[in-house]
Amino acid sequence: MAKNLPQTGIISWITTVDHKRIGIMYAVTALFFLLFGGIEAILMRTQLMVPNNDFVTGSTFNGLVTLHGTTMIFLFVMPLSAAFFNYLTPLMIGAPDVAYPRMNALSYWIFLFGGLLLNFSFVAGMLPDGGWFNYANLSGPKYSPTHGIDFWVLGVQVVGLASLIAAINFFVTILNMRCKGMTLLKMPIFIWTTLVTQVLLILSLPVITVALVMMSFDRSFGTGFFDPEMGGQVIMWQHLFWIFGHPEVYILILPAMGIVSEILATFSRKPLFGYSVMVYSTCAIGFLGFAVWAHHMFTTGLGPWAQALFSAGTMLIAVPTGVKIFNWISTLWGGQISFTTPMLFAVSFIAMFTMGGLSGVMHSSPPIDYQHQDSYFVVAHFHYVLYGGAVMALFGGIFYWFPKVTGRFMDETMGKIQFWLYMVGFNLTFFPMHFLGIQGMPRRIYTYAGDQGWNLWNLMATMGAYITALGGVLFFVNLIYSCFNGKRAGADCWDGRTLEWTLASPPPEYNFAVDPEVTQLDDFWVRKFDATGNRVEPALQPEIDPATKHLPNPSFWPLVLAFGILLLACGPFFDAKGIWLSVFGLGVMLLGTYGWSYEEA
Amino acid sequence: MVSDHEGALHATNTGIDNRKFGMWVLIASECFLFGTLIANYLVNRARGLSGPKAQEIYEIDITTLSTFDLLMSSVAMVLALHGCQNRDVGKFRFWTGIVVLGGVIFLGFQYYEFSHFVHNGLGLTTSIFGSSFYLLTGCHGLHVLAGVLWMSTILATSFVRGDKWFPDVPLEVAGLYWHFVDVVWIVIFTVVYLFVYI
Amino acid sequence: MEILKKSTWRDPLQRLGLGWMAFSTSVFAEGSKQAKAFDEVEYQLRATLESPMNTIAGLTEWARGINHVYGITTLVVTLVFLAVSIPLIMAIVKFRVPEGTDLKQLKPPKQVHGNVQLEFVWAVIPVILLLFIAVPTWEAIFEQPEEAPEDALVVKVIGHQWWWEFQYPKYGITTANELHLPAETPVFFELTSADVIHSFWIPKMGGKKDCLPGKDAMNSMFFVTPAASEIKTLGGEYFQGQCAELCGSSHALMRFDTVLHTREEFGRWTQVHNQPPQVTSALQEKGQELFAQCAVCHTLAGTPSEEQEKSMLALGTPKQGPNLSNLGSRKMLGAGTRWNNQRNFIEWVKNPQSIKPGATMTAFGHLSEEELLALSAYLMQSTVKKI
Repeated sequence: MAKNLPQTGIISWITTVDHKRIGIMYAVTALFFLLFGGIEAILMRTQLMVPNNDFVTGSTFNGLVTLHGTTMIFLFVMPLSAAFFNYLTPLMIGAPDVAYPRMNALSYWIFLFGGLLLNFSFVAGMLPDGGWFNYANLSGPKYSPTHGIDFWVLGVQVVGLASLIAAINFFVTILNMRCKGMTLLKMPIFIWTTLVTQVLLILSLPVITVALVMMSFDRSFGTGFFDPEMGGQVIMWQHLFWIFGHPEVYILILPAMGIVSEILATFSRKPLFGYSVMVYSTCAIGFLGFAVWAHHMFTTGLGPWAQALFSAGTMLIAVPTGVKIFNWISTLWGGQISFTTPMLFAVSFIAMFTMGGLSGVMHSSPPIDYQHQDSYFVVAHFHYVLYGGAVMALFGGIFYWFPKVTGRFMDETMGKIQFWLYMVGFNLTFFPMHFLGIQGMPRRIYTYAGDQGWNLWNLMATMGAYITALGGVLFFVNLIYSCFNGKRAGADCWDGRTLEWTLASPPPEYNFAVDPEVTQLDDFWVRKFDATGNRVEPALQPEIDPATKHLPNPSFWPLVLAFGILLLACGPFFDAKGIWLSVFGLGVMLLGTYGWSYEEA
Repeated sequence: MVSDHEGALHATNTGIDNRKFGMWVLIASECFLFGTLIANYLVNRARGLSGPKAQEIYEIDITTLSTFDLLMSSVAMVLALHGCQNRDVGKFRFWTGIVVLGGVIFLGFQYYEFSHFVHNGLGLTTSIFGSSFYLLTGCHGLHVLAGVLWMSTILATSFVRGDKWFPDVPLEVAGLYWHFVDVVWIVIFTVVYLFVYI
Repeated sequence: MEILKKSTWRDPLQRLGLGWMAFSTSVFAEGSKQAKAFDEVEYQLRATLESPMNTIAGLTEWARGINHVYGITTLVVTLVFLAVSIPLIMAIVKFRVPEGTDLKQLKPPKQVHGNVQLEFVWAVIPVILLLFIAVPTWEAIFEQPEEAPEDALVVKVIGHQWWWEFQYPKYGITTANELHLPAETPVFFELTSADVIHSFWIPKMGGKKDCLPGKDAMNSMFFVTPAASEIKTLGGEYFQGQCAELCGSSHALMRFDTVLHTREEFGRWTQVHNQPPQVTSALQEKGQELFAQCAVCHTLAGTPSEEQEKSMLALGTPKQGPNLSNLGSRKMLGAGTRWNNQRNFIEWVKNPQSIKPGATMTAFGHLSEEELLALSAYLMQSTVKKI
């Protein structure tokens, strides 16, 4: 069956196991969900533009809050990072594909179905409204009797499974499939941040999996894990959620740091300053990230000793992070900086991420956190980290690697206008939120009285959001325009440093015709100069007849298996009868697994 | 079952086959899964507001038997792999069958235990102690079930593909999984059943 | 710049840190004074500086302690921000290659791979800076007692969807949405919830703490109330508070007031609070009769509804609604959502959900205008308004 599948057209995309195609599918899907998350944000900001507004109701607003957070984290930033992992990891380490190509396809389909399941809540008219961390017992059956929360619980469960499968895949790929000469400390820094991110995913996802199962049991089978009336504890959910949730923050930011490091080095024409220290600080951040979860819970009454320890641990994270920031600046220092669009995004990342990091240091102190917790100061903080930080870096990454993926540059003029719309809009939205927090505006309130002194800042924030939205529209215009009309890009279009630039743009399906070999960090860049520093053009990868390379066969089974998982997860929506849907889903999963196992890879 | 071909195409940096490496990574993840479940059980075991308590309901002698059974199936797993690697198809099939049998017996014990507990008034929703207990041991039971399916698939495939089929790496990967599930049970047996007597 | 002059900021470091924070919010205001066209902006900025929930004008020793750490931290992070942004800006200005340069023709810059000494320095400096934050942080953490001090006034705070219940066990008083406190008194709050998680927050008195549901989940907060000199209005000084943890559809409408009295005034308040409403007119008598319907969920101290509450509590089914004793004395209705006056009261009784979506109270739309007036004549009295 597998061998007869077509190489082009829609079927070829559905059955593909090529990491590059899967990467593109991840990116397109993530950007599609960005539209959702963005529209949700605009609706919220419109509601909060003026006091006592009644543009949406309180429960709709809570739904928008929840879906905006969940979509942006689980369906935009994480999968867009996964798109970069997919597309770039084999190219950067000189491998023909990932370790398990079909598992890769499986993880994409599971992610897609999970995202659709979560957003199906719109169609069903039952929005999950417990916030992105969905605190028990508000999310329990008693206080959220509709299926809204179920969409969240099961959607996140399914998306989490996709991430876990992908994480195992990339972890093994990076450790097992590097090209000749690429020892661990000669890997591009993006690969290092990818590797640490996968470790965080592998170890933190099981915790949220258990927490979500417990919540599903509470909601569907009447257990009381988080119900105080049955002896459960609401605080248990918070611990389990944040044991996952804090590493999750680094899962979102570490890939962005890797992208920024690559872009800064390329457009400064200098190696990354202090590469090995950057590697160690990435590992340190990942390690410490597991030991600080309770700083999200300072107001729950942890007791003084726990607070002292968790606040000290949190402050400690500032050290490796600070080292990174100064190393980035030192990378720029003494370089030949050209401000292309990706570079603009990367440099703005340093400034915006620093702001977010510093306000983070502020509420690492529990007494300050007593005032900041659940106020707009926190909203400002994490948007500076995740939006000014992670999202800006990911946009930089899109502009940087777009020519590699499509063979065409994205339009620089539109890109720069988008960048400035984003910078102005972003800061106009989120900087005033610090003031709102200082003035005591709680987060997640759908309306406020006019006499609180919050009016001006809220109006400014809303205007900023509209400006950002303009930038977002421009981005999508640019994306579509450049796919068809962008300036042609050669193999090494940015004067790059890593192995992916030795390949044609777009790269051939088999990646490397000749197995690459490296002798040092940034090997490709170093080979561009002879001993006296004069420019020599190193050889690029030749192109050969694809038929001479053995490629993994395309397969339907990942899609079948993923569909079985979707059916399994849909069961709880149909109450008692749903068990049969779940059983049927299990059957489809078994079919997929056996089909997969006996198929020739 | 891990496919025969996936990952077998290239020499790896670590020297460990991709499939085996992947299983090790999955096991790392599973450690956190069971760690969370066990921690949850420990937090909640004394919080049951109604229904029977742990010391009133556990039957340690029966559980000891089933633990012994699972341990022995791990030994059978080692022998099956040994048979496979020595190209002794009879030994390979026999001990694979014993692994399956051991798993099935364990599941039988668990079925007996669960129905016995329910009969004595400890249902899934009776108390939070019960919920945590069923969640933890039930999750482990599902792992055993997956292992039984996996091993019986290997056994069936062996009969389909004939005497010359020796799935060294897939069997080793399955073995890693089976030993892990066994080790987790020993932890559960200690923490859940034996701690009651301390 | 009034905030800068506030005497509550006790040391120079704190003045500098919080002053900078206030300065950055007020810098527009000063500028806009020059330009008359921005009257509205100026008005808004004044409102900003005097905002009732602001977190940097702490009035209790505890809140000032928080502000102390806050000030130092703000200063440290501002310094660090400058230490990052100045070299960053210098780097991108100084090392920028002019637009249109053919980089491939350009000899690349010196390839510096790192500098261990330098990297060591910027790993150590943050550690030192963090100690400046950590030490006062730890001091403040251990300042909060976990048990109620002997001399403290104990107030039980119970969060409900979406209103606040305050109990004073010492005085046998239960009230809702308006917390009355004596000046210069240590107060220990026992925080719990009747349903979901809420968060109790009076920004000017100190930080927030969560109200968790569950018998063994009690949280606490302690502070010594501000001096009587802070009371500038007759009948007590009002401080706003609000629930800070998402608690359902009307989370935004879960506000409350804290009223600070002089000790004498508070003493009188405790004596008269539980007196039942007087019935002197036919209208009030009718209201009293009608209240029997309300008493299924609500209690009025000193009336039969109190006995009813006790028996319901004994059955394990406590009354669902807030205690309405001295409703007329309260400033706001519906947990801080509307001014407390007859018109709003009637509108609330007729259709509470129009004011607070999701409120569990039954709508009494079927009552006639006269009945509603009677109910308000009975309930809206106040024995404590003129203490």
